[in-house]
Amino acid sequence: MIELKNLVKHFGDLVAVNDLSLTIGRGEFFAVLGPNAAGKTTTIKILTGLIKPTSGSASVCGFDVQEQPLEVRRRLSYVPDFPFLYDKLTPWEFLRFTGQLFRMDEEAIQRSTRELIPRFNLESYLRQPIESLSHGTRQRIAIVSALMHDPEVFVLDEPMVGLDPHHTRVVKDVLKERSLRGMTIFLSTHQLSIAEEMADRIGIIHHGRLIAVGTGEQLRQQSGTDGALEKSFLSLTAQEANFVEEKAALKDRAPEITIA
Amino acid sequence: MSSAASTAKIPSPLRLLLQVNLLQMWRKFRTANDQSSLLVGTLIVFLTGYTVLASALFYRALHFAGRFPGLGEMLIERMIYLLFSFLFLLLLFSNVVIGYTNLFRNKETAFLITLPISAQDIFRWKFLESTLLASWAFLLLIAPLLGAYGLEQGAPWHFYLLAPVLIALFIVLPAVFGCWIAITIARHLDRRLFQLLAVFVVLLAFLGLRAYWKPEVLDDENMESRVISVLDRLLTKTRFSQFPFLPSYWLSSGVLHWVEGALSAAIFFVLVLLSNVAFFGLLGFTGTGRFFYSAISATHSRSHVLAQWKWFRNWTSRRRQFHYRAGPMEWFLGLVPRLEPDTRAVLLKDMRVFWRDTAQWGQTLVLFALIAVYVSNLRHFTQQLANPFWVHLCSYMNLAACSLNLATLTTRFVFPQFSLEGKRLWIVGLAPLGLVRVVRVKLMLAVVASLIVTLPLIWFSCHMLKLPLEQKIYFAGAVIVMTFTLNSLAIGLGALYPNLKEDQPSKIVTGFGGTFCLVLSFLYIVGSVLLLAFSSPWGGMDFVSPNFKVLGWVGFAGLSVALGWLPYRWGLRRVATFEH
Repeated sequence: MIELKNLVKHFGDLVAVNDLSLTIGRGEFFAVLGPNAAGKTTTIKILTGLIKPTSGSASVCGFDVQEQPLEVRRRLSYVPDFPFLYDKLTPWEFLRFTGQLFRMDEEAIQRSTRELIPRFNLESYLRQPIESLSHGTRQRIAIVSALMHDPEVFVLDEPMVGLDPHHTRVVKDVLKERSLRGMTIFLSTHQLSIAEEMADRIGIIHHGRLIAVGTGEQLRQQSGTDGALEKSFLSLTAQEANFVEEKAALKDRAPEITIA
Repeated sequence: MSSAASTAKIPSPLRLLLQVNLLQMWRKFRTANDQSSLLVGTLIVFLTGYTVLASALFYRALHFAGRFPGLGEMLIERMIYLLFSFLFLLLLFSNVVIGYTNLFRNKETAFLITLPISAQDIFRWKFLESTLLASWAFLLLIAPLLGAYGLEQGAPWHFYLLAPVLIALFIVLPAVFGCWIAITIARHLDRRLFQLLAVFVVLLAFLGLRAYWKPEVLDDENMESRVISVLDRLLTKTRFSQFPFLPSYWLSSGVLHWVEGALSAAIFFVLVLLSNVAFFGLLGFTGTGRFFYSAISATHSRSHVLAQWKWFRNWTSRRRQFHYRAGPMEWFLGLVPRLEPDTRAVLLKDMRVFWRDTAQWGQTLVLFALIAVYVSNLRHFTQQLANPFWVHLCSYMNLAACSLNLATLTTRFVFPQFSLEGKRLWIVGLAPLGLVRVVRVKLMLAVVASLIVTLPLIWFSCHMLKLPLEQKIYFAGAVIVMTFTLNSLAIGLGALYPNLKEDQPSKIVTGFGGTFCLVLSFLYIVGSVLLLAFSSPWGGMDFVSPNFKVLGWVGFAGLSVALGWLPYRWGLRRVATFEH
């Protein structure tokens, strides 16, 4: 469903994504963790077609993101941490608009929203202008609009920001259900507990590299720690940081050496 | 998936985007009307007043020029060619700035890129939006002129039907070229290089214009005996506006011929314009999408454009080892005595934010560069006119022009200052210095920054008109008072009518407060300049009695207090009890 092959993204001299390869299968719930500026959002931006990779390729459902962007976007939904919504529209108008952009007819929109709107407790907000709604409510509207057309791949960047515990639970439940029904989910988060609870596999990105990937248990083994996932995460990112520092020091001492 | 893909009745993405944005616009208008009918009333009165006044002035000006013996028609014709060629340039500039902001610094664009809409369709929508945003002021300016021209020339009724069509066609070309330039800039230049290029282009344009229009010095004898020769040279210098490949030439020729009744010639030019619009419009509408996508990807992937060279990378990597050094702005503020550290911090923050937003100071630079070109040519004016009345009239017109420019800037940049703190109130509003002092600091910065421009400009213009020292001081005093008033008005109304949700200054200005600020500034300038002109101790105003002159100065002071000090005090009072 999602295939990233030797993905590299440079911002000038900064390597934001460094030779990242990853395959995520149909119905898989994949969570990606990483410190700030690790390259998670850049990877998502490449995946959603917002930016071009410097080299390598990304494909969704067998379609190359750069070569066949429309085919990809028909099958993929994306919700960022601060989604854009049209402030002067009502949630209902916004949902119809996005549904139509995904070529859903009126009946399909009705059917889909009838299921999702009560689930996300949005009934009482449907006729209010979006500008008057709280961040959490806007976030729920964005998630509903993304789920309406039942995408094959759902990419979320910190979707729980601003959500109260009740709606965080709702989002988690809906995502899990959809994943069991075959939707591939790519979730970027800093909340380790959510990753551990929800994901089939977890990837850790640091300095643009995918330094570890596997289930929670596999990550613990890989890091040589036990207990909370936090320990494994800190251990793995610290190891990577040491490695990068050593590599830089070695490069300073012997610039002619090429280090992978 | 998407079992719902029966697409027969679903509108195209472009149509959906148009529908949604028109709905948004309608809602904004309705909300504004619901919140304040005064806003809509003010707008209607202002627009009607402007249209009537501008039409009357254009009509009189055209009538005056038309009476010039033997050459009236030719002068009017050349003025129309010149006007449209300059408006074409201004439209192009406006489209570049607005197109860049709308295509590459807009949250809607980033949102749309992730949806199943082709880059071409996104570009189409953004192109339409930018064209309207960039051209509405042109329509506002040109409608009274064309109306007045038609009336003055006794144009047939169908001229008034054709004129809107011609204008609609004309605005497409600068819009297409402007968007292409914006895409090229976004694709290849980062912010710093763009800033350098902008300054370079403005300087080059300034020097080029000065060199091209180097005025010829004429004495009174020449003026009286060789009018035809002088006019001949004037017409030669402005012949560039009749370059047949300029879109403004096609528009002007179409208008002129239609009014004259030479319909076949007029239709020819209309068709030339139409075919170019069709050709470039088609290119823009069908072939720009992929360039736009590359450019938007580049703007989201941007590091410094010089990073391709090793020396720059080494330099930046040295800079990454953090050794804080004060920049030029901080160093400059450090020289100002008795400036509290917190005040300095707010000043520095505002200066940095302004400098780093090129779209902001780019417009300022162009506006004042145009005035500078005009002022630098004033010295030749005094050599041609012996009558002090005209020299004094010119000096008051300079004061009005300088203040009007300042008013557009205070409304555009100073008015939104308080609103822009909206999302940062958690830090600025809660800091020990308090919001009242923040507003005071903003006024201080705005006044000082404005005076750095307006005071030398007025002094220089007086110098060019060879006015004696006491008159220079008089005008300098007037412009200082007006600068204080216009900035206080903008800051005061900005605090009284804040929009804390919006982070785009251009959108904050379009609300009630911004419109009100512009209208009041305009009325203040007109009132002040008239009062000062009638109270003038010089320039043949002897028919005004001394008592009335004193009354005029008192009126100017009163107007300044009423429109500057009072809104500022009310703004401060509002800010002191502001709940955030």
